[in-house]
Amino acid sequence: MSGIVIEGVQKSFGMTSVLRGVSLTVAHDEFLSLVGPSGCGKTTLLRIIAGLEAVSAGTVQIAGREVTALRAADRDVAMVFQNYALYPHLTVRQNIGVPLVMRRLSAVERIPVVGRLLPGVATKRCQISADVVTAAEMLGIGALLERKPAQLSGGQRQRVALGRAIVRHPHAFLMDEPLSNLDAALRVTTRAEIVALHRRVGASTVYVTHDQSEAMTMSDRVAVMMDGQILQVGTPEAIYTNPQDLRVASFIGSPSINTFAAEIGPDGEVMIGSVSSGLGSTGTGPAILAIRPENIAPAETGIAARVDHLEYLGESLLVHARLLEGDELVICRLPPEARQQLRRGEMIRLRPDPAKALLFDGAGRRRPAQVRIRDVVHG
Amino acid sequence: MADVALSGSALNQPRLARRMGGDAGIAWLLALPAILAYLAMILLPLLAVLALAFTDYEFGARSFHWIGLANFADMLSDRTFAASIRNTVIYCLFVAPLSIGIALGLAVLIEAGSRGKALYRAVFFLPVVSLTVAMATAWQYLLHPSIGPVNALLRMVGAGTPNWLGSSDWVIVSLGFIGVWENVGFNLVLFLAGLTAIPRELYAASEIDGARSGWSKFWLVTWPMLGPTMLFVIIITMTRSIRVFDTVQTLTQGGPNNASEVLLRTIYQEGFHYFKFGYSAAITLVFLVIVLGLMLIQTRLIDRRVHYG
Repeated sequence: MSGIVIEGVQKSFGMTSVLRGVSLTVAHDEFLSLVGPSGCGKTTLLRIIAGLEAVSAGTVQIAGREVTALRAADRDVAMVFQNYALYPHLTVRQNIGVPLVMRRLSAVERIPVVGRLLPGVATKRCQISADVVTAAEMLGIGALLERKPAQLSGGQRQRVALGRAIVRHPHAFLMDEPLSNLDAALRVTTRAEIVALHRRVGASTVYVTHDQSEAMTMSDRVAVMMDGQILQVGTPEAIYTNPQDLRVASFIGSPSINTFAAEIGPDGEVMIGSVSSGLGSTGTGPAILAIRPENIAPAETGIAARVDHLEYLGESLLVHARLLEGDELVICRLPPEARQQLRRGEMIRLRPDPAKALLFDGAGRRRPAQVRIRDVVHG
Repeated sequence: MADVALSGSALNQPRLARRMGGDAGIAWLLALPAILAYLAMILLPLLAVLALAFTDYEFGARSFHWIGLANFADMLSDRTFAASIRNTVIYCLFVAPLSIGIALGLAVLIEAGSRGKALYRAVFFLPVVSLTVAMATAWQYLLHPSIGPVNALLRMVGAGTPNWLGSSDWVIVSLGFIGVWENVGFNLVLFLAGLTAIPRELYAASEIDGARSGWSKFWLVTWPMLGPTMLFVIIITMTRSIRVFDTVQTLTQGGPNNASEVLLRTIYQEGFHYFKFGYSAAITLVFLVIVLGLMLIQTRLIDRRVHYG
């Protein structure tokens, strides 16, 4: 059974184009994160999958069924909203039960008091109640069933929102930054709980976030979105170590990836100023060499820089250095012991590990490159 | 905020605070203007009315006597008073549900529409800002039994042409329609404000949860979320319609034959026409008890169910 298939989806609001041809496939029981800066269109894409927004062009399929023209209620998806969107007048029990009540009972059967007298309604209500309790127990909120949302903490409300999503066993879960309203400590623990919940429930999950650490830690695959397009979809490792676009490389990773203006010489040697990077490529002309902070370190020879600032993080040391040529800032992540050897204002030479360096062309597209000179960088 | 500022200044000026009797003294001092205004403007007149209600005081009289509950006993046998109570109740039961229901329906429609919100709001709010007394002239013409357009229209379709303001069967209904016309715009604006305050995400959530029709979304989201607004609108509309006076005074003067006599007009007649201040005060007291009683019932019954915060 397939999960979610999105093909060529475009969306514009008036003259503004928000999504410009997005295609994406989410396997059944896969956890996929949509990550990108605010305004990149990730929430719009999620709302299109949910059926809360109509597409301007393109198609959406869920579980092998074309749903582009179907409304949200008929798509068999559940959504967790950023502000949880709980019904404030209903208890936790009723909130979680709403999706079941709306689907299992007819409009007449839902009428208060009178509806309960109709044949079969009592049995249905009983079954709904049992399902609600099961979902609540799974989330550890079984003791809160009679409370109203206003009497709950942020974390508890978030669980109720999750409960309302899982109670119906939908084909797809859509989550719109569900952790952004929690405090930092709770966010980290809830991250793991959502992943565990996803494994238990096992349905396609699309998780929208602007927080790259959430995307990297929780997902089977990550889709990086920018300016209404998906730049790259891949496993967290692939996105981190093998970005196909400079914008992806810059967005993922903290501290951010270092970039150097480079030049491909006539012999295919990639030069940073007058220093060889140890990398070779085809073609000539300007290029951009990008290197993660952990893959560049001081060495005997390399790019001349001055130590600007040291950040001791316990498990590592971040060295902020300024290039003598061009005054650009470079950050290296070194083992914490390096603190003894480095002083602020000191002159150092930095050498990127050519095996880990990434080469991009002027437009930010990845260029093939291979190591020319084997060089021992890490001592 | 006020507490913080207060204790802060008290810390800075311990001597002043001590002379004033500490924080509490300063608090009373600061509240004094409001307390005085409340005493002079609301509490004392109210007490005066309360006292007058148990006297036979007439305007211009040199003396008065305490007559206990005699004024209230008179009310029981006063046919004008009985008619005014009955008419006021009918008027309220007519105006409040209709003007609230129509306003709610219109507000939901206007809110759901994509254009012309400001225009509709302005059109329906117009009766509220226009002077009732001036508008009464227009109604007088519209409802005129022989030259009025309403009856002209009814004649065209071959229906009966009642004397809207002149027949005792129709007069309270006619005044009720004018009351609805007056109140719908006011309630509409309140409902529109209430609707705007409902988070859009709740509608999105209800859609995902399977609320397909506008009808089920209304009952799942709109109706409960409008609860606080609804309580306010009910109280306001009830008090506004109990206080009906200007349309009655300008259009019918309580006639024909007391058929449109209402509570406020009776108070006015007794006090300022017959100068029976004591009796007028007694009716005012009854009026106040009714209004307060209504509010108490409404807040006790409904308030508990509409505030979720």
